[in-house]
Amino acid sequence: MTELLQALIFGALVGGVYALMSTGLTLAFGVMKVVNMAQGAFLIASSYLCYALWQHFGIDPIVAALIVMVPMGLLGLVCYKLVIARLERIDPGLTIVATFALAMVAEALLALAWGPNEVGTTPSYFNQAFHISSLVIPRAQLYAFLLAAAVTIALQLIVKRTWLGHAITAASQNPEGARLIGIEPSRVGAQVFAIAAGSTAFGGAALSFLYQFTPDTQDAWLGITLSVVILGGLGSMPGAFAAGLLLGLAESLTTTYISVRWSAAVPTVLILLVLTLRPQGLLTRATRQDAAS
Amino acid sequence: MRFFRTPSSRPRTGRGATSRALAPFATVTALAAGLCALAGCAPASTSSSASGPITIGMSLPLTGSAADVAKAGYQGYELWASQVNAAGGLLGRQVKLDVLDDGMDPNQTTTDYTRLISQDHVNLLLGTFSSLLNAPASAVAARNQMLYVEPSGGDASLFQRGFTDLFFAQPGTTTSLPDQFLSWFSSMPASKRPTTAAYLTQDDPSASPAISVFVSKLQAMGVKTVYDQTYDPTTSNFDSIAAAVVHAQPQMIIQGSVTDDGAQFARSLEKLNYSPKILFQTNSPTDATYPSAIGASNTNGIFTAEAWSATAKYPGNAAFVAAYTKMFGTAPTEDAANSYTAGQVLQTAVDSVGNLDQKALAAWLHAHSVSTIVGPLTWDSTGDPQGSLMLAQWQYDTLQVVDPQTAATTKNVIFPKPAWSS
Repeated sequence: MTELLQALIFGALVGGVYALMSTGLTLAFGVMKVVNMAQGAFLIASSYLCYALWQHFGIDPIVAALIVMVPMGLLGLVCYKLVIARLERIDPGLTIVATFALAMVAEALLALAWGPNEVGTTPSYFNQAFHISSLVIPRAQLYAFLLAAAVTIALQLIVKRTWLGHAITAASQNPEGARLIGIEPSRVGAQVFAIAAGSTAFGGAALSFLYQFTPDTQDAWLGITLSVVILGGLGSMPGAFAAGLLLGLAESLTTTYISVRWSAAVPTVLILLVLTLRPQGLLTRATRQDAAS
Repeated sequence: MRFFRTPSSRPRTGRGATSRALAPFATVTALAAGLCALAGCAPASTSSSASGPITIGMSLPLTGSAADVAKAGYQGYELWASQVNAAGGLLGRQVKLDVLDDGMDPNQTTTDYTRLISQDHVNLLLGTFSSLLNAPASAVAARNQMLYVEPSGGDASLFQRGFTDLFFAQPGTTTSLPDQFLSWFSSMPASKRPTTAAYLTQDDPSASPAISVFVSKLQAMGVKTVYDQTYDPTTSNFDSIAAAVVHAQPQMIIQGSVTDDGAQFARSLEKLNYSPKILFQTNSPTDATYPSAIGASNTNGIFTAEAWSATAKYPGNAAFVAAYTKMFGTAPTEDAANSYTAGQVLQTAVDSVGNLDQKALAAWLHAHSVSTIVGPLTWDSTGDPQGSLMLAQWQYDTLQVVDPQTAATTKNVIFPKPAWSS
């Protein structure tokens, strides 16, 4: 029983981490229908910025995330204005290629700045845990989980309860209609992209104290975040959180009770299952568009 | 033990890149070699001038995903060549390196070595880095009957192709990695030895063959296996794995780690506050970032194996470290030492034979021992070195060589491993 509980705890915590890493991608796709292939690069760039603040000024990565979200948001804004907005007018499909190119450039720049060797932050809690009876709750994972919950709730509140959120919803569902009531979709898109990029600061901070990373670590995380977004239903923040949890729990239980080797196949198996049984995603209602497709 | 290792998400360039990955390149190699044969390529020694500099050809991944790491290997070759030339050269002729860039692409490696032989008419060859690249490169050399000394590429499959001109310039391959540890382990009184062991390895040729040897040899010594799992190279979360290992309560944990997976697993053990009597990890503990990744004080007592140590007391090693540091302003890495060693092997053979006859050089190396900065090297008929890697242990912030005694930097062994500090 203890083994099962421990596996569930580890699974839920790492699932929260997955959800946290995916927030920006979920937002960008859900609202703007842009598959941002540079999401992993944004994430690792945030990790490096948190690492730099921790290394030079001793700032805790979680606190550093509050600082890093500003330059990351600006970076997102610049990327949108210079690349995404221009390409969307030509062919929205080109944004995938363009963001992929951005990721490659970002990786090279990060390698030039910090080199190819692994780095990571080691705040006092990085290898510590709360011990409750025979159960272990790693502090770093717990903090990342709480960050994930906070970021998900904050973004959900922005989308559902603010004027910007209503503008986002209007612009994403009916751009022409939004224009008629004074909402410029491209301006909303820029704001969304900035928020999405800025939110990666929190995922990057968590990554910096949970794992060692290099510039090309972005490749692995892009795969995981795409899996979470597909499982959760494209654009659904609660869905992404649920998908992260499902993924983390499935990996943990597979590792514990089936085989370590099989845990690598879990994301693929889950995607196949969800696309077969519930193609709109875990927490997303099927739309007429889904039904037609 | 570091054989041109790169971060985990990069192409595996270590002691072994996957054998599966080699198959397509073998085909390309065969085609290239066939074309070369049709074009009338001959062994370089017969077509080159007997005067002027001796050109030594090599193709290195100077650009691409592993470019920064390749730099040290190239510098090791540069240092060796400069020292040879300062001492009067090889056979009285200056040495000139003919270096091409393969961008970490095995197909380009095949092209480069074919060009070095058929167009540049180099006199001698030296190897590149990683099993992935050395597999096709050594095949080109073999087809052209040229000696091929490789600084890395310890995947055992490279030495199962029947090549007689291939020589690995390291003390041992992956399968001999456990030798020194097993020797030390068996020297302990049976009553003090751990009786249970957990084995965990990344699915990688630079790690899993060694762990298989550990399992079979330790079981033969009466150590009960309580956990034995292989994980995918993409694995990043080790908490659940560590929990399963801890659930089995092993007294000894042996991990076939390749890059940061070793540090990640150790961090998970720290969180679980589980410290086995022995923790042995391949590769990862020699990583420069390992101490900071797990906490410097937590490294105490952790074992690993390494091909080269800056402090090992082999002839010429201290001088190599000093010369490299002076020339490049930084301490040498294991990759730099390995390429320097390959140069030493080639130099000794040429000096001993007295000419550049490739077959004679290979025959001499098969019959003799060569003194290098990684210790004396001898090879079997396939070029597989007949030695073993050194057993090293982190002791108070320093990675000390424990065995063999000829290279040991300390007589102390920390056992059992101390508990994790916070």
